[in-house]
Amino acid sequence: MTATLALLRDTFREAIARKIFWGLFGLSTLMILFFLFVMKIDIVAGATASISLFGFRNPHAQDAGRLVRGVFAGVATFLYSFGMFLAVFASAGLTPSVLEPGRIELLLSKPLSRWHILLGRYAGNLLVVLCNTVYLVLGVWLILGWKTGIWSAAFLLAIPTTTFIFAVLLAAVVLVGVLWDSTALSIMITVGLMIVSPILAQKDTMVKLLSSEWSRQLWLALYYVLPKVHDLGHITLSAIMDRTFDGWMPVWTSALFGAAALGSALYVFSRRSF
Amino acid sequence: MPADYAIETSNLRKIYRSRWRRREVRAVDGITLRVARGTTFGLLGPNGAGKTTFVKLLLSAVIPTEGEARVFGRDVHEPEARRPVGYLPENHRFPTYFTGAGMLDFYAALSGTSPADRKRLIPRMLDLVGLDRWGAVRIGKYSKGMLQRLGLAQAIIHSPSLLILDEPTDGVDPMGRRHIREILGKLEEKGVTIFINSHLLAEVELFCGEVAILHKGRVALSGKVRELIAGKGYRLTAAQVPEALETVLRERASAVAARDGVVDFQFATRDEANEAIDLLRRESCAIESLAPTSSTLEDVFVRTIGNGGAVAAAPAAREVTA
Repeated sequence: MTATLALLRDTFREAIARKIFWGLFGLSTLMILFFLFVMKIDIVAGATASISLFGFRNPHAQDAGRLVRGVFAGVATFLYSFGMFLAVFASAGLTPSVLEPGRIELLLSKPLSRWHILLGRYAGNLLVVLCNTVYLVLGVWLILGWKTGIWSAAFLLAIPTTTFIFAVLLAAVVLVGVLWDSTALSIMITVGLMIVSPILAQKDTMVKLLSSEWSRQLWLALYYVLPKVHDLGHITLSAIMDRTFDGWMPVWTSALFGAAALGSALYVFSRRSF
Repeated sequence: MPADYAIETSNLRKIYRSRWRRREVRAVDGITLRVARGTTFGLLGPNGAGKTTFVKLLLSAVIPTEGEARVFGRDVHEPEARRPVGYLPENHRFPTYFTGAGMLDFYAALSGTSPADRKRLIPRMLDLVGLDRWGAVRIGKYSKGMLQRLGLAQAIIHSPSLLILDEPTDGVDPMGRRHIREILGKLEEKGVTIFINSHLLAEVELFCGEVAILHKGRVALSGKVRELIAGKGYRLTAAQVPEALETVLRERASAVAARDGVVDFQFATRDEANEAIDLLRRESCAIESLAPTSSTLEDVFVRTIGNGGAVAAAPAAREVTA
């Protein structure tokens, strides 16, 4: 337990030293301040009497609950897209840095198994992002709830789902990190996975458009094997907006991908000479 | 029952193979070595001899191609085998976001030291290595010598029974070196086994009781330092030595050098030197000088490595320490 806590603390300390933690924290704070000071919503008898942004009033009054859910959906979309990119960019260097010659030998000389060291780093990295996600989501939720009196618990789902997607992508980052010690390659491959996700998600349309059977099968195989960042975001948005969605398949197939990537990373790390 | 040896390797081999070509590098090529508990052991060898790879094999940082390594009787692959080990790597890169005290706290925690013990030991360790006023300073501001001393503190903070030091005095000034030697001396008195990998032969000679010289991934020579450098002898310098007699004496001498009509013969014993003098005087040769000599570890090293790694003609040379 002592060693595990030390590994987690070390990842936090490095994230702070690299300005990763404070960078994400600062961005989250900006967003919270935006909702606190810039966006003004007046609610009268359950309906939006007025909504203004930077002092400009929007004349189209809407149902207050729908409006707040829309704002939450906007924040969640920000988390899945821009926020996720930032988190991957920021934390991609945390695995290769620990594998640097002169540093890894000392870690390996301690009475810890290799999986303990790598998982400690992985969990520490995940905690950094979890802390920032909790801060942002909870902050926005509390401010909007306080301003509007509407408390939509579904928005809080963004905390576990965002952390889950990041955990899956981080497994890919760690695998690339232990294979090639390259931060740049980790970012390229992981961002690549994020970019292809919405493209692959158009499988129903693409299967109709593709002419050959093998290309259809390839498209479907890629869709099912790779993490479904887009679909997971869609599930969360549906939950927030109180809509139905097409089952949990994107969750468990993405979890399988993450487990396979992390398992492979642990295997490679346990067999590597430093 | 505790193991007799702090370190035991058996036919330990590490072969690096390039991924695409068939070329292979035998970094460590079948090393069998035993280091008894409580000894100070020096690992020597030229660059590329396999010293650092051997040390990393002992710590399981490098996966062996063949053979096995044990620390206090436990296979080094078991994490628990490394609990009684303190290690200072060569060319270490301690994260610069640590303060001196923070770094000691982190590595001591990884070694399983409790928070209460860490709190008690960290100031003591900083004081021991002369960094008591630097504990709160980020190590990015430390000099190389200070980092080396801090590295030593992290290696000993958890009271290891085996200390593995890779170039421990690298970048340390003479006063710092003496200080490190004093610290190591105290640890030796407490029965800690100290395994040093170093290029500094004089320092190893001064500090270590036993050494092994690696060459091309193999143990070229090993034994007790006292015995290895006990190659005492006599250098006899003579002039006008007839060719036939020179040939006879060359066979008896351990080394011969000729220059400007003068020949230097190196004899291992006084009796051999006296017999040579008798023969030379019988032929009316001029005796220029006779002087006792003793070899240093550097002489032994040069003889061994210059010999292509074959076991040198040192009196107590052994293939492997037993």
